[in-house]
Amino acid sequence: MTKLSKAFKLGVIACALAASAAASTASYAADVTIGALFPLSGPNASYGDIFGSGANLAAEHINADNLLGGKLSIQYEDSQALPQQGVIGMNKLVNVQKVPYVLSAFTGVSKAISTIATRTRTVAVNGGGVGPDLAELGQYFWNIIPLANYEVRAIIPYLVNERKMKNFVLVYVDDPLGQAIRKELEGALPPAGGKLVEALSVPATAQQFGGIAARVRAANPDVIYVASYGSQQSQIVKQFRDNGIKQPFASYTAFSIPEINAQPEAAGSMYTSQNIDWNSQDPVTKRFVDDYKKKYNKMPTAYIANYYNAVRMFGLLAQQLIKKGQPVTGENLLKQRVETKTFDLVGGKVSFAENGTVTMPMQINEIDGKGGKVLSTSAK
Amino acid sequence: MLLLQLLINGIQVGALYALIAVGFSLIFGSTRIFHFAHGSAFTIAAYVFYDLLAIAQLHWTIAVLGAAAAAILFGVALNRFVYIPIQKHEGSFFTVFVASFGVGIVVQNLCGMLFGRSFVAVSTPLSRSVELMPGLYVSPLAGIAIAIAVLFFFALQMFLMRTHTGMAMRALSENPELVRAYGLSPRRLSMTVFALGSLLAVPAAVLSAAGSGLNPAIGHHVMLISLAATIVGGVGSLRGAACAGLLLGLAENLALAWFEPQWSEAITFIVLFLFILFRPSGFFGRATAS
Repeated sequence: MTKLSKAFKLGVIACALAASAAASTASYAADVTIGALFPLSGPNASYGDIFGSGANLAAEHINADNLLGGKLSIQYEDSQALPQQGVIGMNKLVNVQKVPYVLSAFTGVSKAISTIATRTRTVAVNGGGVGPDLAELGQYFWNIIPLANYEVRAIIPYLVNERKMKNFVLVYVDDPLGQAIRKELEGALPPAGGKLVEALSVPATAQQFGGIAARVRAANPDVIYVASYGSQQSQIVKQFRDNGIKQPFASYTAFSIPEINAQPEAAGSMYTSQNIDWNSQDPVTKRFVDDYKKKYNKMPTAYIANYYNAVRMFGLLAQQLIKKGQPVTGENLLKQRVETKTFDLVGGKVSFAENGTVTMPMQINEIDGKGGKVLSTSAK
Repeated sequence: MLLLQLLINGIQVGALYALIAVGFSLIFGSTRIFHFAHGSAFTIAAYVFYDLLAIAQLHWTIAVLGAAAAAILFGVALNRFVYIPIQKHEGSFFTVFVASFGVGIVVQNLCGMLFGRSFVAVSTPLSRSVELMPGLYVSPLAGIAIAIAVLFFFALQMFLMRTHTGMAMRALSENPELVRAYGLSPRRLSMTVFALGSLLAVPAAVLSAAGSGLNPAIGHHVMLISLAATIVGGVGSLRGAACAGLLLGLAENLALAWFEPQWSEAITFIVLFLFILFRPSGFFGRATAS
């Protein structure tokens, strides 16, 4: 009986060791899940579809290349582009799914989840929000998109000097993104020779803009800068045109969505985005563009490239960690990002500033109803 | 000129709010069902109109009729298959409200799946404003909105005052037992109420699709306005709901002359609070809560 008991105990220990060995191997090279906090419902849900198309394509490529020795999956949670929903989703991803890496979007959501990211040492990567203070959310919060300060500073010299547009009206959504853009415009316009003649804030849920159009007409600007996103910006553009506004619109990357590009009222609008040469022959960009076109029968946009890059970057970092025999944790991913100076991503080689934000050249685009054209490319 | 422009915009928006609010108030006043999904009837009608006109390229009259049929069908089916069964088993006001709220969310997501989650608009020259005088822009849709609101409200009043069904519906809100005693079926009457109430959301839905565009979440705003207008107008008073809808549209727009646009939605609630504080029975509501 004693012998049997001893044998049983040894068996249990052996099984536990074997299971432990298997488990630890699994954490180095096995199926890996990362999280994504995107708006999947509500007025900004179209962004969730757009962001997800880039992230999914990157996961497909990583799996096809067997980069991780196991399958990469993305667990999506619906942020509805709202901070409160974002925190709920982040808690689920971090505490239940135990993901080491989360894709984030929208300035308000990103700010809300950043404390959880820091506390739990989970990497959060933003590819859609552009509020400048996203650069100050701690070392576990990375931005793979140039922030609004770069976007505003890129378009102001072009509009003021080359297009001779001095008087600006800003229509901005009353949230951290809109407030950040207002601050940037107030600071950057006077030195450039421009003037912010009116700044009109709108709630994120507003859908009627006929009255605001009257205020804009009364201000008589040369250009109207729209700092909103999702269906609201389309409604602003349509209702302003319907209400007799003839001045051109200017905006940031948020205008690079299909619904704005296809909107007849948006023709002539100018917006900034990071400079990506879609015809580049570098293998990463070419594969991304070719496969995206094949899959969706249309050209990708900057947002799609950003989330492709965010997932691809995870793949590259995790691959390095697996090679070294280190577990894929947020802490190790951060160390590896600091160690790896540059990444081959869509658009070329990308490096991160110390604050975890990429710097990229910008371009100014014009909506022309035929897929858009590049008006100007700025230096870094 | 800015004030005059805002006044005209306010009347246009207010006319549509009035129609939506009257529909909600009719349903709530007659059946005591807090029909939160009234906003969903609006969304469904708007998307069906958009789909038939812009996608299927049918004549606008067919698109309008299709939108009306969809809204009525939705309202009646919701009453028959959700509200009545709940009332039969439990009848709690709160349970019905939660069910209605849930239906609103389901409809929003279904519309997103079926019609896409992005912004859509019906392209029509009617939404393009013309400059009546320097600085004053008015679109043909403004005139249409006001005319339709007046026409529908007049027709509804006639229906309620002059027809047996209309009178029975009014009686239903007062005393359902009495209605039953006269051999009428409260259930059948409530079906008619839902059909009529949902129909009243259709003009606003169609004009919104053409004027300001749509997204699946648009029903929430509609619901908010309906609720506020019902309270401001006086629960159970259709005349009050219509006036309150108009008042809210005007307040929202006129506030832009003095305040930041971000306050325009808050104005709705300020008006609501003022009424709750100083005239809890609303414009034409009964003096005591009933």
